[in-house]
Amino acid sequence: MIVRPVRSADLPALLELARSTGAGLTTLPANEERLAHRVGWAEKTFRGDAERADADYLFVLENDEGQVVGISAVAGAVGLREPWYNYRVGLTVSASQELNIHRQIPTLFLANDLTGNSELCSLFLHADYRTGLNGRLLSKARFLFIAEFRELFGDKVIAEMRGMSDANGRSPFWESLGRHFFKMEFSTADYLTGVGNKAFIAELMPKFPLYTCFLSEDARSVIGRVHPDTEPALAMLKAEGFSYQGYVDIFDAGPAIEAQTDKIRAVHDSQNLILAIGTPGDDASAFLIHNRKREDCRITAAPARMAAGSLVVDALTAKRLQLNAGDQVRAVALSARG
Amino acid sequence: MLVMRPAQMADLAEVQRLAADSPVGVTSLPDDSERLREKIAASEASFAAEVSFNGEESYFFVLEDSESGRLVGCSGIVASAGYSEPFYSFRNETFVHNSRELKIHNKIHVLSLCHDLTGNSLLTSFYVERALVDTAWSELNSRGRLLFVASHPERFADAVVVEIVGHSDEAGDSPFWDAVGRNFFDMNYAEAERLCGLKSRTFLAELMPHYPIYVPLLPDEAQEAMGQVHPRAQISFDILMREGFETDHYIDIFDGGPTLHARTSGIRSIAQSRVVPVRIGEPGKGGRQYLVSNGQLQDYRAIVADLDWVPGKPVTLSLAAAEALGVGEGVSVRLVAV
Repeated sequence: MIVRPVRSADLPALLELARSTGAGLTTLPANEERLAHRVGWAEKTFRGDAERADADYLFVLENDEGQVVGISAVAGAVGLREPWYNYRVGLTVSASQELNIHRQIPTLFLANDLTGNSELCSLFLHADYRTGLNGRLLSKARFLFIAEFRELFGDKVIAEMRGMSDANGRSPFWESLGRHFFKMEFSTADYLTGVGNKAFIAELMPKFPLYTCFLSEDARSVIGRVHPDTEPALAMLKAEGFSYQGYVDIFDAGPAIEAQTDKIRAVHDSQNLILAIGTPGDDASAFLIHNRKREDCRITAAPARMAAGSLVVDALTAKRLQLNAGDQVRAVALSARG
Repeated sequence: MLVMRPAQMADLAEVQRLAADSPVGVTSLPDDSERLREKIAASEASFAAEVSFNGEESYFFVLEDSESGRLVGCSGIVASAGYSEPFYSFRNETFVHNSRELKIHNKIHVLSLCHDLTGNSLLTSFYVERALVDTAWSELNSRGRLLFVASHPERFADAVVVEIVGHSDEAGDSPFWDAVGRNFFDMNYAEAERLCGLKSRTFLAELMPHYPIYVPLLPDEAQEAMGQVHPRAQISFDILMREGFETDHYIDIFDGGPTLHARTSGIRSIAQSRVVPVRIGEPGKGGRQYLVSNGQLQDYRAIVADLDWVPGKPVTLSLAAAEALGVGEGVSVRLVAV
């Protein structure tokens, strides 16, 4: 398995993947024209021809047979072309000592606070491949890339996690709030934002802060909560140093988590090493390894051993990275030490 | 004969009897002798004061059965709403959320806390015994105040407002309160209204939500209660609507009852009342009912009388009516048809 930049030849495979995601992944709509456009942008981005505001680093996960089985992406910056909206979950206190009243009312403030940050997005792994190191490789490969090309990214990285919805894709938060203003299904709104139609958010959303006491109990209970399927992804990003700072999605109230770019474990701990080919041995541990290239970027996860400035991997790993012994790599332990 | 006159301290016990029977929500009539004593004292001072423009005065009238000395109704006017503390209302507003691209055009109804009605004169404390509902005496109890305003325009503002008690059920619960205020106070409607009477409405208003409330987020029962009149306040509402008061612009912040307002000069009893010299004698047959006031200040009196009056001519009052008004031949009275 390797992670590499997307290519136009991947388009049919991507469309297949998009069709299997269901609702909740706004950045991977199953729309051929949009996907083709996106892939085109990604190619341009990896070539270095896109400004940070437009940069879309879209990676694919490819197995050794050359089949695309997953995707992940990093946006150079959000909100620099079109406004980026979140709710900030603030607090209103209604208090009177004399009346012995103290009420805390979480209040949603429509905000563009996360503008300009880089964003992890579009993570999707085919169900048949959710095993072994695949998920971690696909997600964390982005951190090695960010570490290698730090100047291409913002000082903060954010990730919007999918919020709660039921088996039918109904989001209680949407039912209680968005529906009143959009008069459409959650999946429609989700699709429209996915295909880049964001102006309607500004046109239709309530502009004033919202006291959550006016939302249904179901809606209140899901603010800042992720969909159960997203729990593992959340746990993984938290282990990398991401945290919830009170920003949520305006449609399903899923948390937008964030981290200082330089403090993300896989960014901070990654090192440049010389590749050595050999036998990693019994005390080898899983490493994330990047060939330090941009357009020809290849990142894999494999057992490896560090020894005096070099990283010892087996021959297959070197082949996957298309590197020879003596070439430079950037590597980091795949996971934080327990 | 039922006679409207300024309240005196000697009326305190009787006034409290009326207050105890008035519905929850008429916070200007607290069942609390200390507050009522202050209210009467303030009224006596206001009637006695020399006033050249509306200020802190408040005028409190009672409707007395002149044979038995029993009080059967009361009403008041505050010269300036919000004179010593802010006067809060919810203003009905409409925002249009429009997306041309999506062909969505939503009119969103919003309630905004405001002080718009500050400085207007405020009709308060209306109460009549149930037996008098739908009689000319109810008209006297309410509109006698307006005749007083007509005779003393310098004492009142250019506009008059009145807060009509809103819907609450037999148990004393208000759906509007439960959906809005309760979130900020954690107490039921009756308790809140009791506190309003004892402390002040402003005291509680300051704990109310200061950001606009999006009405579509409120439960249906609360939306239906907006602008609804409490059955026992219907009489007061109907009288003032016939006087030309307008509804729909403002509602009460606690129970959602309508707040009516009118230009002082356009109020029917003020615009259409006439000042006419008095003759004492036998009122002719085939007349109609009039409200008649003596136009005085501390000795203000108003009654209902059957009169056969021709506009432009003096009015003939019975001796009893003239005595009740404290007027003699040649003195002028102000009258308006019931």
